[in-house]
Amino acid sequence: MNNKKSVSYTKYGYIFSIPFVLAFLVFQLYPVLYTVVIGFTDLQGVATTEFHFLKNPLENFIKILSTNGAGSFRLSLRNTILLWGLNFVPQISLALLLTAWFTDTRTTIKGQGLFKVLFYMPNIITAASVAILFGALLSYPQGPLNSLIGSFRGDDYKAINFLANKNFTRFIVAFIQFWMWYGNTMVMLIAGVIGISPEIFEAAEIDGANRRQTFFKVTIPCIRTILLYVLVTSMIGGLNMFDIPKLIADGGPDGATGTTALYIYKQAFSGGYMYNKAAAASIIMFVIIMLLSMLLFYILRDKDEEALKKAIKREKKAANARR
Amino acid sequence: MSEQKLRTKSQDNLILKIIVYIVCIFLSILSIMPFWIMAVNSTRASADVQSHPIAFWFSTHLMDNFKVFEGKTFEPITGFINSAIISVSATILAIYFSCLTAYAVTAYEWKLRDGFFKFIMAVMMIPAQCTMIGFFQMVYKMGMANNLLMLILPSIAAPSMVFFMRQYLQSSLSMEIVQSARIDGAGEFRTFNSIVLPIMKPAIATQAIFTFVGNWNNLFTPMVLLTKADKYTMPIMVSLLRGDIYKTEYGSIYLGVSLTVLPLIVVYLLLSKYIVAGVALGSVKG
Amino acid sequence: MKKVIASALCVVMATAMFAGCSKDSSKSDSKTINLWAFTDEIPGMADKYKELHPDFAYDFNVTVVATDNGGYQSAIDNALQAGGKDAPDIYAAEAAFVLKYTQGDMAQFAAAYEDLGIDVAGKTKEAEIAPYTIDIGTRPSDGKVVGLGYQATGGAMIYRASIAEDVFGTSDPAEISEIVGGGSGSWDKFFDAAAELRAKGYGIVSGDGDIWHSVENSASYGWVKDGKLQIAPEREAFLELSKELMDNDYHNDTQDWQEGWFADMNGTGSKGIFCFFGPAWLINYTMGENGPDTAGDWRVGVAPVGFFWGGTWVLASKYAAEADDAKKAAIADFISWITLDSSETGLQYLWANGLMNDAGTKDCVASGKVMAISDGSCDFLGGQNMFEYFVPANANASGARLTQYDETINNLFRDQVRQYTSGQKTKEQALDDFKSAVAEATGLEIA
Repeated sequence: MNNKKSVSYTKYGYIFSIPFVLAFLVFQLYPVLYTVVIGFTDLQGVATTEFHFLKNPLENFIKILSTNGAGSFRLSLRNTILLWGLNFVPQISLALLLTAWFTDTRTTIKGQGLFKVLFYMPNIITAASVAILFGALLSYPQGPLNSLIGSFRGDDYKAINFLANKNFTRFIVAFIQFWMWYGNTMVMLIAGVIGISPEIFEAAEIDGANRRQTFFKVTIPCIRTILLYVLVTSMIGGLNMFDIPKLIADGGPDGATGTTALYIYKQAFSGGYMYNKAAAASIIMFVIIMLLSMLLFYILRDKDEEALKKAIKREKKAANARR
Repeated sequence: MSEQKLRTKSQDNLILKIIVYIVCIFLSILSIMPFWIMAVNSTRASADVQSHPIAFWFSTHLMDNFKVFEGKTFEPITGFINSAIISVSATILAIYFSCLTAYAVTAYEWKLRDGFFKFIMAVMMIPAQCTMIGFFQMVYKMGMANNLLMLILPSIAAPSMVFFMRQYLQSSLSMEIVQSARIDGAGEFRTFNSIVLPIMKPAIATQAIFTFVGNWNNLFTPMVLLTKADKYTMPIMVSLLRGDIYKTEYGSIYLGVSLTVLPLIVVYLLLSKYIVAGVALGSVKG
Repeated sequence: MKKVIASALCVVMATAMFAGCSKDSSKSDSKTINLWAFTDEIPGMADKYKELHPDFAYDFNVTVVATDNGGYQSAIDNALQAGGKDAPDIYAAEAAFVLKYTQGDMAQFAAAYEDLGIDVAGKTKEAEIAPYTIDIGTRPSDGKVVGLGYQATGGAMIYRASIAEDVFGTSDPAEISEIVGGGSGSWDKFFDAAAELRAKGYGIVSGDGDIWHSVENSASYGWVKDGKLQIAPEREAFLELSKELMDNDYHNDTQDWQEGWFADMNGTGSKGIFCFFGPAWLINYTMGENGPDTAGDWRVGVAPVGFFWGGTWVLASKYAAEADDAKKAAIADFISWITLDSSETGLQYLWANGLMNDAGTKDCVASGKVMAISDGSCDFLGGQNMFEYFVPANANASGARLTQYDETINNLFRDQVRQYTSGQKTKEQALDDFKSAVAEATGLEIA
C-alpha cells in the first residue's frame, strides 16, 4: 500500500507544474521563438513585417561580434561587466556584513528592525525618480554638489560637469545600482538565515565557535542555496542592467555607460530599427548568461547531495543488475 | 585570566556595536533622503525647484502643484485603481503559482523534474528587451491592448521567483512534515495549501514585496500596451507630466512621484514585519 | 490560505470584468474619433473645436502617450499596424520624428489629405501655408500631402535688452541684429560680439546647443545621402564653433533642457547670458515659463544664420480614410480647422493671438494669411511685436535637410562634440567615433 501511494505522488509533480508551463506557452513562447527566428533574418525598419532568412545564417552574429568601435556590442559588453563588478562586489559584501550583524545571536543590535526596513527603501522608488534626484544633485554648472564642493574650494572653483566625465558617470551608475539593491540582497540573505534552525547556532556557540567562525562555518554554508539564488539573479540582473544607465546619461557620455541591454534596446527601438541585430544580440547575451550561471551552479553545487544522488544511482543499477 | 578575557570580549562588543550603529545610521540617512526630498519638493513652486533642486524644508505650494494636474492627464484615483489591480493580482498569482511550481520541483521525484527546473532557469536568463517586440506584437495582434489581463496573467510564470522558492524550500522544508500530513490523510493539494505555504511565509513576504514593487513601478510595458486614459497606471501618468515638452512643472512632477510611492510605502510597511521580526519557523526542525 | 486563493480569484474575475466591460462601452461607438498625441496640446484643440462647433456629432477618444524612451512611437507604431476599432484616426508627430510617419517607414499608414476630401492645393494656397510644412508633410511615393503643421517654427535671436545696452550701448533690434551679423550667414561678427560681451563679464549664449539648431539647419545637406552618412562641412565646423565658445568662456556650458539652461533664461546662471536662439514657441512656452525675473527685458532680432526648430504635424491614418463618409467628413473638418483654416475662427488665428488659453500665449502659425492679420506683441518682449522678425525668419525653414535618423544621429554627434570640446578627445578621434557609432545605431554605410 505504501509503495502504491508513493508511486502516485509523482504525478503531482507534473500537475503542479501545469500553470507555469501554460502561462509560459501562452505569453512567452511566441515572443521567444520570434526573437530567435528574427536573429537569423534581415528584418529591419519600423513597419516591415516581411523578412527573409540570410544566406549566411550567422551574418548578424558575425557583424555584432566583429565590430569593436564606439557604440559596438563588444564595447557595451565590457561596460556591462565593469558596471556590474563595480556595483556587485560592494553590494554583496555590505549585504553579507549586515546579515552577519543582524543575525548575530550574541550581540543584539537595537533598532535593527527599523534599519532593515530602511535599507530596503531605495528599492521602492522608480528608477525614473532616482534618476531625476541624482540628475538634480549633480546638475551643472550650478547644482547642490557643485556648490558644496565650491564652498570648500573658494571662489575660483570651476564647476565640474560630472556627467560629462566617463569614469565619474560609470561610478555614479554603479553607486546607484549598489544603493538601490544592497537592501534587497540583504533581505534575501536574512530570509535565508531565518530559515536556519536556532539549534544549530546554539550548538556552534556551545562548541566555542567565535562570531567570525560561526558566520563563515555555519551561517554561510546553511544559506548556500539562497546565496546561489542571490548570485545567479544578481548576475542576470547585472548583465541586463538597463534603467539607470538609460535614465542617468542615456548610455553616455561617449558610450561609457552603454550596457548590452541598452544596446539591444537602441538597436530595436531607434535609429535603424534593426530588429535582427537586436535579436541576435539577445541570443548572444542569453548564451553568455547561461554559461556563467552554469559555472555558478557548478561552483556552489551541493557536494553531499551529489554524492548521495550518485550513490542512489549506483544502488539502483546494482539492484537492476541483481534482478 | 578568564575575567580579563571576559572584559576584552565585552570591550570588543562595545566597539563592534559603535561601528554597527554608525554604519547603520549613515545608511539610513541615505535611504530616507530621497523620500524626504521628494516630499519637500512636492510642496515647492516649480520655479524654486528648478533653481534649487534640493531643499530640506517644506514650502507652501502643495495645492498649486495639485492644481496643475487638472489640465493634464493625471487622475490619481484612476491611476491608483489601475496600478493596484495590476500589482495586487500579478503579485498574488506570481506568489501562489511560483510556490506551487517550486514545491513540484522540490517535493516530488519525477522523471522530467531536473529538466523542467533547468528549463525554468533558462527562461529566467532570456534578456527582456528583445522579447518585448514579439510580446507587443502578439498583444496588439490579438486585440488585447488596453486589457489589464495582459499585464497580470504573464506573471503566473515567474521563473526567478520559482527559483527563489525552490532554494528556500530546499533549505527549510522537511519531508517528514509532509509525510505526517499524508498519514493524517490530507490530499497533496491540501498539504501544499495548509502546511507548505505557511512554512514559506518569510520567503513569500520578501518576494511579495519585490514583485509588488516591480509591478507597481513598471513603466515601459504598460506605456506601450495601455493607451487609453482610463487604463493608465500611476507611472504612466507621471511620465506624461514629464513628457510635456514645452515646460516642466517640477513641483507637480515631484508631487506625482510622491503619490506614486506612497502606496508602496504602505504595502511595504505592512509586509515588513516578516522581514523584521524574523518569523521563527516553528514547524521546521533543522 | 483559502482566503488568499479566494481573494486571488476574486481579483482575477474583477479584472476580467473590468476589462470586459470597458471593451463593450467603446465597441458600439462609431461616433468617436481616435486621437493620438504626445502632449495635451492637440487634445486641447479638440476641446476648443467642440466648443466652437456644438453640432459636431463625434466625440474625441483621446490617447496621450509621452515621448519618454520612445514610448509614443512604440505605442503608435503597434496601434497603426494592428488596426481595428482602437486604431488612431488622427495622430500627431513632432519634427524630431515626423519624417518617419510622412516619408519614412510608417508613411504607408497615413491617409492623403485629399483622400479625406480636403482640397489641399486650393486651401494651402489660400491660407499661404509655409512651404516647408507642406514639403515635410508630403509623401514621396505618391506626392500627396499626408500631414501639415499648424505652427511656423522659423527661428530668431532672442536677446536681453539690458545686457545689450550695457555692452553695445543700444537695445534696438535692428542695430543689435547688425552687430551680431544677423542674416549674414556667418558666425564671424557673432564671435566678435561674444568677445565684447565676455569683456564685460557676460556670456553670449547659454550652451553650445543654442547655436546647434542654426548650424544643423544651415548645412548644405542632411545626414544621409543615398543610404550613406554624410557630414556637411557646416556641421563639421560646429566642432570648432563649440570649442571656441568653450575655450574663450563665452557661455555657461549648459545643456539644452537642463536646469542650468533654464536658470540662464531667468538670469540666475553663473554669468549673465545675452541671447537664446529659437522660434516663437520657445519664447512663450519655455522662456516665459522659466524666466519670470527677466520678463520684459527680452527682444527679438535676426539670427546670424537662419534656422527653424520643432513643430508638430497632424496626420490622419488610412483607417480614417476607410471610415464611412460622415466620419471621414468630420475628421477632414477637424484637420482642416487646425491646419488650413485661415479665418478668424480657425485654430491658427486663435493660436497666433493667444486666444487658446488664459495665459494668452502667442505663437507663429503656418498660414501666412493669418500671420498678416495677427498681432505678436507680448509683454515678455517689452511689448515688441515678435512677428515682425519671425515672419521673415520662417523663410529659412526647409525640410530638405531632414532625415528620419536625425534624432539618433544628432544625439551621437553632440555627444562626441562634447568629448572634443571638453578636451577628452582629438577632433579626428571624435569624428571617427561618431562615424562608427552611427554605423552601429542606424546600419548606414559610412561615406
